Amino acid sequence: MNLETRLAWRNVWRNPRRTALSVAATVFAVFLVVLSIGMADGVHEKMIEDAVRLGSGHVAISGEGFRKNMTLEQFVPWDGRVEAALADAEGLRGWAPRISSFALLSLGDHSQGGMIIGIDPARESSVTEFSEKLAEGRFVAELTVPGTRELVLGRKLAAKLDAKLGDKVLLYGVAYSLETAYELFTLVGTLALPDPRMEKNLAIIHIADASDFYVYEGKITEVALLATDAAHTDGLRSSITAALGPELLGSLELQGYEELMPEIVQFILLDDAGMYATLIILVVVVGFGILNTILMAILERSHELGVVLALGLQPIKLFRMIYLESMMLAGVGLVIGLSLAVPLLAYLHGMEFPLSDELAKTTEFIGMEPMMTFKLGAMNPIGSTITILIVAAAAALYPAIKASRAKPVEALRSL
Amino acid sequence: MLLRMSWRNLWRNPRRTFVVLAAISVGIAGSIISMSVNYGMIASMVKTAIEGGLGHIQVHAEGWDANPELKIRLEDGGESVALALDRVPEIESWAPRLRAQGLVASPRASVGIAIIGVDPQRERHVSIAAESIFEGSWITKPRQLVIGDKLATRLQASVGSKLVVSVQDIDGELTGQAFRVAGLIHSGSRDLDDGTVFVNITEAQTLFGLGQSISEIVLVTANRDDIGLIQEKLEALLGEGPEVRTWEQLEPMLIYMVTAFDQMAWVLYAAVFIAMAFGIANVLLMAVFERTREIGMMRAVGMSRASVVGMVVLESAFVTMFGLLLGLLGAAFGVWLMRDGLDISSYAGSLDSYGIAPTLTPTLRTDDLGPPIIIGAITAVLSSLWPALRASRAKPADALRQL
Repeated sequence: MNLETRLAWRNVWRNPRRTALSVAATVFAVFLVVLSIGMADGVHEKMIEDAVRLGSGHVAISGEGFRKNMTLEQFVPWDGRVEAALADAEGLRGWAPRISSFALLSLGDHSQGGMIIGIDPARESSVTEFSEKLAEGRFVAELTVPGTRELVLGRKLAAKLDAKLGDKVLLYGVAYSLETAYELFTLVGTLALPDPRMEKNLAIIHIADASDFYVYEGKITEVALLATDAAHTDGLRSSITAALGPELLGSLELQGYEELMPEIVQFILLDDAGMYATLIILVVVVGFGILNTILMAILERSHELGVVLALGLQPIKLFRMIYLESMMLAGVGLVIGLSLAVPLLAYLHGMEFPLSDELAKTTEFIGMEPMMTFKLGAMNPIGSTITILIVAAAAALYPAIKASRAKPVEALRSL
Repeated sequence: MLLRMSWRNLWRNPRRTFVVLAAISVGIAGSIISMSVNYGMIASMVKTAIEGGLGHIQVHAEGWDANPELKIRLEDGGESVALALDRVPEIESWAPRLRAQGLVASPRASVGIAIIGVDPQRERHVSIAAESIFEGSWITKPRQLVIGDKLATRLQASVGSKLVVSVQDIDGELTGQAFRVAGLIHSGSRDLDDGTVFVNITEAQTLFGLGQSISEIVLVTANRDDIGLIQEKLEALLGEGPEVRTWEQLEPMLIYMVTAFDQMAWVLYAAVFIAMAFGIANVLLMAVFERTREIGMMRAVGMSRASVVGMVVLESAFVTMFGLLLGLLGAAFGVWLMRDGLDISSYAGSLDSYGIAPTLTPTLRTDDLGPPIIIGAITAVLSSLWPALRASRAKPADALRQL
């Protein structure tokens, strides 16, 4: 430890009470910053995970323009070629073919529009968790004979139709051939889903029944793919693009979850922007506290500083010393703050807490389960540390410059 | 006397005071600006919802609250309600509507949508549907419909295209009707732009086999403060039966969001002020230490402990008040700078599905000034207590001994 460092460290503790107050402010800010970011990361990751596991998957293969139009006109030819390409893909956890379209559902004198998803039960469970979200009844069975026509509804949709298990619900839609299609389906189960909008409009049938209903033989609207984890989305997409080959790819498009659910990604962006703005205000306020502490410390030592300068200490060394004091002040606060926040966050990591009523209703609006979760990511403590050190460095600038410019003569005169 | 002393003490070391002032005002201004951006976002969502068709008040037949669907209708076509509306002068305009669900199909595709039967003339005055037409015109002739731009893209339809609307009529029969696209809407609300078909109400009534009955009457007022009053008057005039509901009751979500943001505001201010409190306490403590002798002297000449405490608390109150004032000015300036709104459309264009407009205009409400002022006052007192008690314990004898 060189002289400057030792001097700086001792100076910090000259007035322990003052230092303790500044450190306490820093600890408070670090704690709050790390915990808020941990909460936002947890909630946002859960939003994406829920949306991926109850809908699009990480990547979707669909006919070109399907996402924009959501109509049966854009299709994926389902003749084994796409399946063959999927067999060699790297980083693929699961895939499921789907036929998605709209239909009017009616029972008695109730009728409701719904999003119809035709799925292959055996494959679907490798991508989404629909079959685990049953509120009552059972999931669509794997077909042995085509034409069983089983139906599973989001529970709010079932409630709107006033449908009970076993009821025959009329699906009324427009087939690929543009002829009207109508058929009775038997309600076998209802789903309780985290996204209330899905509960209100989701209807699941077997893909073979969907193919029959929409007159869609040899075609599907999309294949949902689940990557080994969200970070591999892009890798998965390029490996599948390569496997499909240019000929097949011509009429298809591959989209990652960011394109599939832009509103969620943008909502997260907006939410993060608001939170970071708030945290920066907090850190700046603490920065002013550090600035004041250091400023006081040099003002009360102006004699001393004058003397050391008169004795020949280079101003740059003095500048460095004051700077070190500020960084040490912030550093002590950082170490204590992180050692409180990080273990707490590690403990909370992955735990779920229900939200207050108002907040719960708000999260419902954006289609999210009203649960608060936490996540401890590496970038969180690292980013917080860097930000606080930058603010402390900025705060020390004025006092350090002031100290190094102190005039020895004036300082000594008042001796 | 005490006031003057505190005031002068404050300016003994102006640099120190300025730094505290800067901390407080930056904290306050930042918090208020960020809250006003949030409220601006909610205000734009409310505006989108109200203008997009919610209106200020809607009147439905009994049972709509529990089950908003086609079978709940005002059987007389809203005549009795219309009579009551004429007797409430605060109402600016009103329009009848029929609401149902169905499918709309072009030669290329079919999509599930909400069908809204409107009185083309009256609807102009209660929602932005007619104003938002960017191509073609509003419904003027028989057999015309108006759809949103996004729905048109999905159907690959344009002005003049023929679309078939298929529905289940009131007897449960499947039926349909061909319409021509009169115009395309772009309103910024996902519901209107992607999921709604407007047709003439009389044609909708025929399509569903409903005679003259309607689903709702929507009304707007020039002054939003009158909404509660209008609701009371209408409820008194209409008696039992029809359900008169304000937009807040129809879309409670928007109110929940306001409440949630209010809760957040308190947390935000509390966090910023706690951080400030450390700074204020620190400065006051230093100031008190420097003056140990002086305070001892004052005690020796007969100043009471309470006065010493009061003096220090007042110093803190002055700094906080000043900081608050500067912060409020800063916030007002910041909001003024952003008066034309922050354009977030480039990276948040898809947020229209939540009804969030692509431009955020910060909105400063007088109510929002409550939390910073209340929490500020609490902070001023709390952060000065320790230094004040410390000062009051100064022993006159000790202080004088050093003389």
